[in-house]
Amino acid sequence: MEHNNLLAAWPVVGPGVAGAVFGAGWWFWTDAVVCSAAAVPFLHYLPGFFATFAALMFNCVNREDIGDGYYSPYDDSEWRVKLWLFISYVVSFVSLAGAVGFLVQDALTNTGPSAWTGTAGVLQCVCVLVSGLIYWTCHSED
Amino acid sequence: MALSRSMRACLHSGRLALLAILVSGGIVLQILACALYNNWWPMLTVLMYLILPMPLMFFLGSDNSSVMSNGGDGWVNFTKFLTGASIVGSIAIPAILKHAGVIGWGALAMELSSFVVFGVAILWFLQMSSEDEYSSMF
Repeated sequence: MEHNNLLAAWPVVGPGVAGAVFGAGWWFWTDAVVCSAAAVPFLHYLPGFFATFAALMFNCVNREDIGDGYYSPYDDSEWRVKLWLFISYVVSFVSLAGAVGFLVQDALTNTGPSAWTGTAGVLQCVCVLVSGLIYWTCHSED
Repeated sequence: MALSRSMRACLHSGRLALLAILVSGGIVLQILACALYNNWWPMLTVLMYLILPMPLMFFLGSDNSSVMSNGGDGWVNFTKFLTGASIVGSIAIPAILKHAGVIGWGALAMELSSFVVFGVAILWFLQMSSEDEYSSMF
């Protein structure tokens, strides 16, 4: 019963939850930049921006476009959607990898940003991408 | 419940008065968080409180029922997204100010309780207005 109620309420509160997680991700990063003793180089901002861009990219497609319910030999535009999704997947993967790389670098060196900055960067990427996924599951549920 | 019309109207305006008291209590808590410590940084949270209703006003107008309905327009979903982000923002700004050492624990506690009071007031108001829609149909 509880599971059914949650499923029914999901399209109503889902976008709000996605917005909350997205905000949490960016506010973690803002906290790290504000509380950092050392100046955070611009390179460290990039994973967050690319993660946001990737979340925007894969939210541009509808779920129905890649379904295999209706197959028509004259309709070959499906590959464009899949290419778009693949590129957004690559961008999100690279941004996550970059954030983890900056975390390792920050944790190992004493000069430059602290370990909290690196951790916040990883949290930011994860939250932004998860929020994009949550939003995607909501808006295709009709 | 077999209340007479005048009793129901009295109860309704009593609830509205309580709502107004809650909202003014929230405002007082917010200002106290700054004034008691003579540190006006927490007023940044007011920015978030201003941003919060804007998506609802711009995109929804007076179409309150679409908030609770299923799925809906792309703009309704985007409105909910922005509202969710603003809610987190109004919790995040006091937390960041505390983490940076700009405000103390007392100011943080007052900010967060002001947020909770506003949240309770808004939820109660939404519940009241949906009750009104239901009862005015008869």
